[in-house]
Parts: sequence; C-alpha cells; structure tokens
Amino acid sequence: MHATPVVHTDHSDHIHPPPEGFIRKYVFSTDHKVIAFQYLAVGIFFLMIAGSFAELIRVQLWNPKGTFLSFSTYNEMFTMHGTVGVWLVVIPLVTGALGNFIMPLQIGARDVAFPWLNMLSFWLFPVAGLILFSSFIFGLPSAGWTEYPPISLQYVGTAFWCLAIITIGISSTLTGLNFTATVVKMRAPGMTWTRMPLFTWATFATALVNMIATVALSAALLALFLDTVFHVPFFEADKGGAPVMYQHMFWFYSHPAVYIFILPAFGVISEVLPVFCRRTIFGYKMIAFSSLAIAILGFAVWAHHMFPSGIAPWLQLPFMIVTYAIGIPTGLKVFSWLATLWGGRIQFSTPMLYALAFLITFTFGGITGIFLAAVPADLHEHGSYFVVGHFHYVVAGGSVIGFLAAVTFWFPKATGRMLHEGLGKLGFWLFVIGLTGTFLPMHWLGLEGLPRRYASYEYFLARYPDVVFWNRVETVSSFFMAASVAILVINMIWSIRRGRASGINPWGARTLEWTISSPPPYYNFKKIPTVFGRPYDYSEPLPYRNLDNDVDAYPAPMPAPRPNPSLGGR
Amino acid sequence: MSAEIVERVLAFIAAFVVGGTAIFQLKNELPARGLDASVTKVLLGLMIVGCVFAVLASVRVLGG
Amino acid sequence: MSALNSPLEAVEARYLDVDPVYAETRDIRLLGFVMALGADCVLFSSFIFAYLYLRTASPAWPPFVGGHQLPRLDTAFAALNSMVLFGSGVTMHYALENWKHLKKQAFNGWLAATIVLGILFLLGQGHEYLSAQMTWQGSSFGASFFTLTGMHGFHVLVGVCYLIVLMIQSNRGVYTGSKYFGLTAGTLYWHFVDVIWVFLFFLFYLW
Repeated sequence: MHATPVVHTDHSDHIHPPPEGFIRKYVFSTDHKVIAFQYLAVGIFFLMIAGSFAELIRVQLWNPKGTFLSFSTYNEMFTMHGTVGVWLVVIPLVTGALGNFIMPLQIGARDVAFPWLNMLSFWLFPVAGLILFSSFIFGLPSAGWTEYPPISLQYVGTAFWCLAIITIGISSTLTGLNFTATVVKMRAPGMTWTRMPLFTWATFATALVNMIATVALSAALLALFLDTVFHVPFFEADKGGAPVMYQHMFWFYSHPAVYIFILPAFGVISEVLPVFCRRTIFGYKMIAFSSLAIAILGFAVWAHHMFPSGIAPWLQLPFMIVTYAIGIPTGLKVFSWLATLWGGRIQFSTPMLYALAFLITFTFGGITGIFLAAVPADLHEHGSYFVVGHFHYVVAGGSVIGFLAAVTFWFPKATGRMLHEGLGKLGFWLFVIGLTGTFLPMHWLGLEGLPRRYASYEYFLARYPDVVFWNRVETVSSFFMAASVAILVINMIWSIRRGRASGINPWGARTLEWTISSPPPYYNFKKIPTVFGRPYDYSEPLPYRNLDNDVDAYPAPMPAPRPNPSLGGR
Repeated sequence: MSAEIVERVLAFIAAFVVGGTAIFQLKNELPARGLDASVTKVLLGLMIVGCVFAVLASVRVLGG
Repeated sequence: MSALNSPLEAVEARYLDVDPVYAETRDIRLLGFVMALGADCVLFSSFIFAYLYLRTASPAWPPFVGGHQLPRLDTAFAALNSMVLFGSGVTMHYALENWKHLKKQAFNGWLAATIVLGILFLLGQGHEYLSAQMTWQGSSFGASFFTLTGMHGFHVLVGVCYLIVLMIQSNRGVYTGSKYFGLTAGTLYWHFVDVIWVFLFFLFYLW
C-alpha cells in the first residue's frame, strides 16, 4: 500500500487548551486516555459481576442435583454470565480500554478522529448495563446469551436484553468507525501502513469488523424485539416466520464478534514478545495481513454454529471448509511468534508470562475449534461442554490473558508506576492454574456427552460417574481465577499510589508511546514525530525524528528488581 | 381515466425527465475527484437504475 | 487539481491548500460520514436478507392469511411515489451545485423543492400504509414490508428534518463558499436514502 498523503503542517501550535473542572476532566472527557480508564473501570466492574454469576453456576454444579439455585434462576445465571461477559466485559475492555489508550499513542496522534463520539460511545456502555439489569423487575433474560426464538419470545426479559445489546452495539459501531478513521487519516508523517505497530494493525482490523458486523446484530435484535413486544412475525413459524433465520442473523454478527475479542489480544502479543526477547518480530507483514484476512474470512463462517439446526448439507460443507481455512492465518501468526522467541534473550516479566501462556492456551483453544469445524464431529459436540471448554479457552485463555498482558505491560505508561511484580506473578499463576482446572475437564465431559446449560446432571451419573469429581475440580479452580482477578485489582490500586516510578520506558520498548512521559500529557505529543522505519528492530536506533523527549537511541530495559532475600533471592 | 392510468403515465414521463437529468448530472460529475464525488457518482448511477425500474414498472414489463 | 466542475471548487481547492488543517478535518469527517452510510447499508442489508429468506421459504407469495392469498402491492402508485423521491435526489444535486457556484437564491429554491418532494414521498407512503391489505403482525409479508419500508421512511423523515436544518443554517451564514461540509453530508445522505428505495422498490413491488 502506498503512503497515505499526510499534510506536513507544524502541529505544535494546534494543541487545544486543557479541559477545566472535574466534570470536564474526568466525567465527560473527550480525552481518549481518560475514556480508556473509564472503560477499564466499568469493564472490570462488569467482569466481577459476570464472574460472580459464573461462581453461582459453579456452586450449583457442585452436586449432581444442586438445590443452590432454582432451575429458572440457573437459566438466568448462564444467560447473564454470557451476555455480560461478551458485551459488557470483553468487547469494551479490548476495544474501548486497550484500543482507546494505546492506538492513538502508537500512531503519534493527539486523540482519535472523533473525540466527542468517543465520549458518547463510552457513556452508552453503562447505560446499556443499566437497561440490561433493570430487566430484573420482570425477570432477567434466561434463554442463553444467544436468546434464540421461539423460546425467547415468551419472556419480557428478552425485550430488555434486545434494547441493552442494541445500545452497546451502537457504542461499538461508533468506536469501530472512530478507530478506522483514526488509523486511516491520523498517522504521524512517515508512518506508512507497513511501518505501523502491530497492535495498531490489530485495532484497525478489529475496528473494521466492529463497524460492519455490529450493525447486523442490531438488526437481528431489532427483529427479535419487534417479535417479542409487538408480535411482528419474523420468527413465528405459524405466521410465516422462521426461527432458524434468527440464528443466521445472530451468528452473522456473533462469529465476527469473536474475532473482535481476539484480534486486539493478538496485537498485544505481537507487541509484548519482541520487547521481552529483545528481537525483532518475525514475519511482520504476515502478522499484519493475517489480521485483515481473519477479519474478512470471519464473515464467511457463521453457520458453523448452526450445523445441527437443520440447514441443508450442501450449505454445511462450504462453511466447514472456510472454518478450517481461517485456522491458516491464525497459525501463521502463532508460528511467527514462536520464530520471534527462537534465539531471543527472554526476560520473564509478568506481561511476558501472560504472552507465553497465551501461546499455549489460545493455540489449544484454537485446535479444539478445528475439531468443532468438522461437521460430523460437531453434530456430536454441539451443545455439549466440549464447546464450552473450547470457547472459554479462546476467550479466557486468549482474550482475557491478552488483556491481562496488556494491562501489566501498559500500566506503567498509563500511570507512571510499576505494578508490584510479586503480586503480578502470583496473579498469573492463579489465573493459569484456575483456567486449566476449570476448562480442561469440560472437554472430556463434553465428549462423553454432558450437555451445556443444564442445571442438573444427575441423570448423567449412571453413564459417567466421574462427572461429579470433575465438576468439583472445575468449581474449586474457578475460585482460583476469581482470586487472580481480585489480586489484579488490588495490585492496580496499590501500585497507583505506592508503585515504583516507571520513567518513560521501563521495558525498553520501541513504539511511539514509549517516547513520551508516563503518564502522557493530555496532548500526548508536543511535536508530532516523523517516522522512518518499523518499530521492532532492536539492532537499529529508534526510527523517529523530532521526538519530545531525549530518549536513548537503543532503548534498554530497566535492570531487574533487586532480589528479595525473604523470598529466597540473594 | 382511472387513477392507475394517471399514475402510470405520470411515472413514465417523470422517469424520463428525472432519469435524463440525472444522466446529464452524472456526466458532468465524472471528471471530479475525491471521495464525495466518487460516492455521488455511484449513488447517481444507482438512482438512474431506479428510474429505469420505474419506466419498466409503468408499462407493466416488471411488477404487477 | 485538474478537472473541476465549478469555480467554487477552485475556491475550495485553493482554500484547502491554504488551510491544510481544515482540509484534514474535512477529509476525516467525510470518511467518517461515508463509513457511517456504509454501516447503515448493513442495517438495511440485514433486513433485506430477512425478507429474502422469508419470501423464499414461503410456499406462496404473497402468502395466504386466513384462507385467502394477500393481494400484490400497487405497483403504479409506488412507481409514481418513487419518481417523487428520485426527483428529489436530482433537485438536491442541483441545490449543492448552485451553492458551489455561489448562487444562493437558486440553492434555496432547489433545496426547498427537495424538502417538498421528500414530504410528498412520506405522504405517499402514508397512503400506501393506510390502503395496504396486510397487517404488520399478520404475516411475514406484512412483517418484512412494514419494517423495511418503515425503517426507510424513518430515514427519509430524519433526512427531511436535516434538510430543513440545512436551509436554516445556510441562510444564517453558517456555511461559506469554501466551508460547507454539512451541505455535502446532507446531499450524500439524501442520495443514500434514494438508493435504498431503489432496492426496496424492486424487491417489494417489481419482483
């Protein structure tokens, strides 16, 4: 791609005066960094809620016929866990928090393309949460996070669910539009497409998917809303409607949605690995273009969620093939990352631990996805715990781990403080052990035929007596993950006040955000730098001119913290 | 003269007038450059297709 | 810039060269607006998919309700109403052209014509709704027709309101000969609404 022509004006006189007053600075702010923090705070709040619902589920499943929750409450719990997790946790955190904070800094911009729209996008987020939870009066949505008709048509909760998700969908679409315009139009002079950092590439691909797919979701949910409330027969078979049509409309968005979850996490891994093995990233162009390939191919695989729904076999086949094919660009990335590690001088900081874990857990989750891609296998595995294990490995073991890597990596930049390394490592091990214990057994339970979304599995005991043991392993392990999140939150709160000062570039990274102060000033860059190379080549000096601060040409990482004798160090 | 005939005749005439004008506008717009000009050209073109539909509809070639 | 359509584009071009900060802002806003129209396309495409699915899955079209087959829609009236809307697209284009040539009077006239034609179209749709034989809740035909044309009509209504705002703002002097992004956006939006109707007209009345 040729360079987008960029106007070479001296932008140093184009800095707006700073915002005045608490409301303008911290509540209704148009500053992408403040908005990112707002997304982070609200997102982590909803993370704790979604996690609590999951714990309620796990407690119910301690016994084969648990009486902890009523069956209808159980239905509400798995529905809300999924709904909140998908739309009020993962998407806002990876796009709204990470994308908002990091991407404008990486491209040398002072803000996103439409800052006011960015603020609107954020505020729609807590509003969507309020709408969703206000359904409590009538009964929370309880037909699964997918809310298939005809069953979902019978509940009032569905209407609230539709309105809430349409609201967060508008927020997402506007964010996607904003980020796309930002990346296309606001890169620093000299930053051609192939000199962009890989997290920016990932955010760009995510924003494209976000902008196009989310509107399709709003359409599906609008149709469901009209059918639920006004009985407009889109999905009622006796009036000419078609329930399976909802599945097509819903999954046309919801499959690309999973690429919205994971592409930013891929971007984070691409940023973290080179820094902590002091090597240039292997296969920059392959990684960059594979993000676009995944984004595009992601629109062509939706019916693999519908293999047992009665769609014709001639329709199942192409979806199976494209689903296999989408593993290829993903695999290219994984191999490029492995090649980056090979021969590097690896430093096992907390972000690096998360990145390395990602390579294992995400790849494992991706492989089980390939199992599911095969139609004959899927006809057995659909609706079983195998699917639940698969998607939690890629979401929790992929997106969430990528998110945690990002938080631990960019926290020093955002706050000027280092996170406590000991707590960080403890949180890491708790998370990974918890993840494994919770989601690995789901795979063999699913293969044995244990169905998902069932409040009781007592009938399954005769078939597979170990089901009780494994469910209990999962329940105990889930509390490890909960502890890990709690430790992260405590770590962040503690470190903001008491963490070590980070300086401009504690990790010795090479992208533009590490050339400005920590935390960055509200205007980010006093002088917009000029870029004349790619950011990852550790053997070259920094490829920037006209930087605000006098930074080292060859960034070096901070020396490792002094060993702590009480922990065994000398 | 039933309402239907009047509607068809008016639609037929209007389609030629509007469609012809649109073709003329599109021709003038062709050399212009830029995103807004490109989008305008595409949309004008599709609108002309719409006028063609209206002509065909008014003479019962398409539609009921 | 080589080929220009009007003296004002030359003025705008010189202004864009003189004020590159405005040029960048206008460029960014134009890209954002066009992408928003693209997203709106996806909205209509989704419902058009639903219509195609329901129609092809139905044993008869128009479908049977209460033992009787619903009648086809009135093509003649719709053809005329479509011409009203397409005509408004042409008048809107002339309005913008006249603005670029600094002809304020002509601009006002053409913009007024566009607004009137837009309102006439909405009235026509109202007549269509009142004389329709199917109901919104009664069949997949009514469901898809009223939802899709209703969404379109809502877009037209918003468009008419926006054009009225443009009329007021331009007469207050908000837009100048060289800075008139609101007018450009309004014109693109109006053409977009026009083209969506081309598809709906074909799908519901001609097929």
